[in-house]
Amino acid sequence: MIDYEFIKARSLEEALDFLGNYEDVKAIAGGTDLIVDIRKENVRAKGFKYLLDISGLKELEFIKKERDHVVLGALSTHTSLIESPIIDQHFPLLASAAKTIGSPQIRNRGTIGGNINNASPAADLLPPLIALKAQVKLCSARGERTMSLEEFLAGPYKTNRQSDELMTEVHIPLVSEDYLGNFQKIGRRKAMNIARLNLAILLGINNGTIFDPRVVPGAATAYPMRFRKVEETVSGKDIKDIDPVEIGELASEEMISFTGVRWSTPYKRVALASLVKRALESIFREAKVDE
Amino acid sequence: MSKIEVNITVNGAKHRLEVGPKERLIDTLRERLHLTGTKEGCGVGECGACTVILDGEAVHSCLVLTAQVDGSEILTVEGLEEDGQLHPLQQAFIKHHAIQCGFCTPGMLMSAKVLLDKNPNPTREEIKTAIEGNLCRCTGYEQIIEAIESVAEYKSSKQD
Repeated sequence: MIDYEFIKARSLEEALDFLGNYEDVKAIAGGTDLIVDIRKENVRAKGFKYLLDISGLKELEFIKKERDHVVLGALSTHTSLIESPIIDQHFPLLASAAKTIGSPQIRNRGTIGGNINNASPAADLLPPLIALKAQVKLCSARGERTMSLEEFLAGPYKTNRQSDELMTEVHIPLVSEDYLGNFQKIGRRKAMNIARLNLAILLGINNGTIFDPRVVPGAATAYPMRFRKVEETVSGKDIKDIDPVEIGELASEEMISFTGVRWSTPYKRVALASLVKRALESIFREAKVDE
Repeated sequence: MSKIEVNITVNGAKHRLEVGPKERLIDTLRERLHLTGTKEGCGVGECGACTVILDGEAVHSCLVLTAQVDGSEILTVEGLEEDGQLHPLQQAFIKHHAIQCGFCTPGMLMSAKVLLDKNPNPTREEIKTAIEGNLCRCTGYEQIIEAIESVAEYKSSKQD
């Protein structure tokens, strides 16, 4: 039986103090995953004595543009990402992923910080955020540190957050207009859909030549990560010389090189290849229109 | 377990409550305030039957702890009618036969209400997105969409 004391944080400072002074604290924001886990007595939600409610910390709910990056407060909801003109202008890849999450009710409560820290292998914001080279800022009463999201993720439902730390911000470096992205997702239906597979691809394209490619499938490996073999293969090539089908198959091979052959492999091998193909075709179409 | 004091406004009425750490908003609404219009279907945020409006946004009342919403305003299906008159959406649901068993109806109405509050003239696609988190197992979606559309048009024609 999960049992806990409920603590409401009135300020960020109070939250960090509490995290620093007590052990076995679990932070709750939107609660869209956590409350389900608590009620189902899921092992992932066990082992905490205090539930620290940070949902009222308005200071962590913002999206603002700075000189060369955009800063998102960790409590920015999925709805706020979708409705933000800054995200729409600079990171449509992120907005298109956020739109596929759950339903309006979930998107109104669920937060970017929650999506990252829950670290589900199927989290929809992780592939686009990794592709965008997002950095996460962690604060504690001891100080603060920033690291790349890729480094922050440590495994399925695991992160490198220390127990006294709270994620306060996500930083995304601005990319030039040469970058085009695409998000793909498949599940069992269109709405209220947990990804069987998802995928973010972001490519720099200059006069038809690909540079700085970033290819990040989700729910394909233990946790979302860049597929560097695929990236190396397309880097420096002209989009006219790339066969999206071939690259899709290469991505599936790279997935299997990480996971081995699993029960889901016969499905995911074909499905991932298809998602990669669709994403590349979509980006290439857009690149041609831009020319 | 210690109790948490919470002040909330539900359908315009203020309540001061002492709740437990696990008490969900739907439990508070149904068990304490006896507002049983809000239904619990799945209890895990999949079906939308428990949808209420929390500070202007549609949320699953099964996925919110009451202790989290101190100071908030909540609107449930019971708060839709005014002066004994059903809300235009409620009237439209009746007129368009957008109800069979009625279990999803309170949640559907709340999702539709938020949509129209924010966007009085939604497209059909926007209506579908607004109710994408509300399951109807009598599958009367078509009538529900028509009912919501009719209120949107009704509003706009009145404004014109």
